[in-house]
Amino acid sequence: MRQLFSFALLSFVSFSSLLSSASAAAADYHEQLVLRPLPLSALLASFNFRSNTSLSEFEAHNFRFFPRSLGQILQHAGTQELHLRFSLGRWDSESWGARPWGGAREGGTGVELWAWLQAATDEEADHKWLTLTNALSGLFCASLNFIDGTRTTRPVMSFQPEGDHLNMTAADTHLLYGVLPHEVVCTENLTPFLKLLPCKGKAGIATLLDGHKLFDASWQSMAIDVKPICPAGAECVLQIELTIDMVLDIDRSKRPRGNPIPRPPPGHELPCNTSKPYHAPDTCFPTDHQANQDWTLSQIFGRTMKGTCPLTDPAVPPVCLHVPDSRSVFHSDGVLEKKNLDRVSRCFEIQPDVDFEIVLPAPEDESAVVVKPETPLLYAERSFTGHGQERGGVQTILHNPSPDTEVEFVYMESLPWFMRIYLHTMSARIQGQTAKDDSLIKEVYYRPAVDRARGTQLEVRMRVPPASTVFLIYDFEKSILRYTEYPPDANRGFDVAAAVITILSPAAYNLRTTSLLCSLPTPDFSMPYNVIIFTSTAIALAFGGMFNILVRRFVAADEGPEVGLAALKKRIQERVGLLVEKLKKGKTGNASDESGTKPDKLETVDTAQSIEGALKE
Amino acid sequence: MKLSSLLLPAFLLAGPSLAEHTSNWAVLVCTSRFWFNYRHLANVLSIYRTVKRLGIPDSQIILMLPDDMACNPRNAFPGTVYSNADRAVDLYGDNIEVDYRGYEVTVENFIRLLTDRVGEEMPRSKRLLTDDRSNILVYMTGHGGNEFLKFQDAEEIGAWDLADAFEQMWEKRRYHEILFMIDTCQANTMYSKLYSPNIIATGSSELDQSSYSHHADNDIGVAVIDRYTYYNLEFLESEVKDTSSKKTVGDLFDSYTYEKIHSHAGVRYDLFKGGAEEARRRLVTDFFGNVQNVEVDSGKGETNASFEEEMVRLSRTIAELHTRAEEQEAAKRNATASAAKTGKKQQQPRKIPRVAKPLTDDNWWTKKIVGATALAGCAALWGLGSYLEGVV
Repeated sequence: MRQLFSFALLSFVSFSSLLSSASAAAADYHEQLVLRPLPLSALLASFNFRSNTSLSEFEAHNFRFFPRSLGQILQHAGTQELHLRFSLGRWDSESWGARPWGGAREGGTGVELWAWLQAATDEEADHKWLTLTNALSGLFCASLNFIDGTRTTRPVMSFQPEGDHLNMTAADTHLLYGVLPHEVVCTENLTPFLKLLPCKGKAGIATLLDGHKLFDASWQSMAIDVKPICPAGAECVLQIELTIDMVLDIDRSKRPRGNPIPRPPPGHELPCNTSKPYHAPDTCFPTDHQANQDWTLSQIFGRTMKGTCPLTDPAVPPVCLHVPDSRSVFHSDGVLEKKNLDRVSRCFEIQPDVDFEIVLPAPEDESAVVVKPETPLLYAERSFTGHGQERGGVQTILHNPSPDTEVEFVYMESLPWFMRIYLHTMSARIQGQTAKDDSLIKEVYYRPAVDRARGTQLEVRMRVPPASTVFLIYDFEKSILRYTEYPPDANRGFDVAAAVITILSPAAYNLRTTSLLCSLPTPDFSMPYNVIIFTSTAIALAFGGMFNILVRRFVAADEGPEVGLAALKKRIQERVGLLVEKLKKGKTGNASDESGTKPDKLETVDTAQSIEGALKE
Repeated sequence: MKLSSLLLPAFLLAGPSLAEHTSNWAVLVCTSRFWFNYRHLANVLSIYRTVKRLGIPDSQIILMLPDDMACNPRNAFPGTVYSNADRAVDLYGDNIEVDYRGYEVTVENFIRLLTDRVGEEMPRSKRLLTDDRSNILVYMTGHGGNEFLKFQDAEEIGAWDLADAFEQMWEKRRYHEILFMIDTCQANTMYSKLYSPNIIATGSSELDQSSYSHHADNDIGVAVIDRYTYYNLEFLESEVKDTSSKKTVGDLFDSYTYEKIHSHAGVRYDLFKGGAEEARRRLVTDFFGNVQNVEVDSGKGETNASFEEEMVRLSRTIAELHTRAEEQEAAKRNATASAAKTGKKQQQPRKIPRVAKPLTDDNWWTKKIVGATALAGCAALWGLGSYLEGVV
């Protein structure tokens, strides 16, 4: 009996250990920081945190590395795949080159959200979308609940699922896309982001994430991607990837936090250009600021990295640095530096409980300071044209830098309903040619706006021939909003979301234009008050006049009482006379009367009446 | 045996503590937008830091910030908000949760929050999930006037609106005691209309008095805090070091002087049960701190019986509602069935296409022919008309 029991126990233990080892194989986590110095004293820092959870465990509410708060929301809203972006600033592709992750981990300015939801009907999908946006708004402290019908679109060509959806059919999976271009991204969005990480920003590369530096960056993008991945012959896993990319200005980052305002240094500290002929002890021509590429990790991020997250996969080096091999880099003890085969990058293996610090001294060789950034497949720039408050135009300049490859892409705009576009004015032409070229636009998907119910959705599949620039233009009309529809800062203008460009060939690449600020005609908001005041005045005048006519008796001037200085004099005399009389009476009354106050009172009433009578006269 | 003897005094203590609160909540509202109102956000954030310092968790703080000062391009100190020119404490810090921000800060949302009349999709973090044992600190700041407070320079909340919201909260048993603080011009008029019990109210200035800012920071470029909030904070920082502090609300109110605040701060006790004396005896930490008084169920038969009775009654009501709903459903079904029988055409919900349509030239000729026919028809009509005119 006892043996049997022990056998059962043993088998149970072995079974459970088997289970746990299986789950450990399915659930993994790794994090990596890639530092890439860019030209013009910029530094790109890409933080990537990725964890996998097997789909069966996820469905059994067995969360290990997957954040429970997010997991429950996804399950509740029937979300198959989710992409959430918080971005700020502009990626300067002219100097910084191609975007990190091929542009797949970035969003337009503000907040962007797209998700594949499982729902039988469109209405159900809308309802789930409402649930999802509201729940995420609570989780990420952002106004995602403002993604309503007017800001939601269902893109046809632009977005393709990144994950493997085995049992997905077109009928019951809905792609919804919402964007809030005006949403600010700040520390309150980073706080919940860090709480989703297994190490919560207490260890590993996440310790470098500081709101003060992140939101001082020239460009930054926080991304959350959740997608199922089904490797061949293995169980499907749900992957969550959290990514933060930021481009820091090294000069600005090195300023002390308490004193970030650049002030001119005192005269004796000024570096002078001694080659100038007028250089003298009292005259100084300041030298240009060198593009300084010497920095340390703690200068840039304001703190050193505190070890590594103990949960992370040790096979993945936590920090990598992309500088030419010829540059010398110093690092703290207990760190193993490994140069990669490509000769332009190196990675660092860090002990779990060692503070990590790297120092990049000023480069000796000026030619090999940074790795030359890759040229992007396409440059895009969008701006408003036209003038006035009534109508305008949008012009997008698309430049293909490649000398021999044609670029084909989908250009997507989701415009607010108050920008009514004239679709017939949409045309594309190649720079240098005046006539429009119909062969550039291959396909157009269009869904017109409905006032106050939905925005315009425009998807254009087009191509740009090699080494040429294409202008895509269209006109629009601005509608006039109702008085209550204006936001409190209406005069600032209304943000128009970034256009999403998805390159189909020669390679997958994404980019977004900047958002636009559309100024609508704003009314004078004090107008209703002016109207109220004016109407009240008019009514008061009319009513006052009428009332006077009704209750007053009008007499000729000579019939009325005298007016003028003489009349005033007479009046004063009368009053003085009355006062004197009253005083006399009072004296006699006080002297004679002992019986009580009653007659006294009566007397005063009398005098009051007599005064009144005198005044009336 | 020993355990029971230990528990006994605890039970005895639990008796008088029945009237105490078991949770603390804070509703901190800034109502001003735009950079030059930096000080109002700093006011609210300094109170936020104080209540957090005294132990109220983020989940029990509702923070409303209508504008973004920390990441504002005008801010020379990105990611920070300071309430003092010495810039010793960064109020924005590393860990902050803003529940309502930007355009979400409206009068409607504020009243919905207080009265909990929200949609089912509203996440828990944006709701005030209080009960009749919750003490609430309601702090408001912004620009106001006689019996109103402006929200984002676009709308106003009136003193009556606020009073009615509090009354609704009282009727719904959503609070135990409220400390209402307001820092705005003519602030005392805002609480003059309150009429619900157990509210202590205080404001920064009387009718026709302005509420002034304390000082400005030259690098930030604007005033950083208001006087009333500044001296409140001074008291809270220096006298209420932790939750064990025995300083009372009366001590806090006594620290207000005209010399410091430059306006007459007001206090209203008359709504409180027991009046001024009882109200002044409340601890500062009863509202600013998180003091969790655990209530032990007495476990007596009587209370259980009444509870069970209540449950039975409740379940009966639920059953009744169920049957009523079923009846309605059945009636509706009958109605639709009869409608179908009579052959009446059922109104189909109009199918709205959700997805963008491709622009194609498929039936280009058809479209042209339709257009041409219409034009020709018009021309024929006109010709016929002029011909007939000529005939007559």
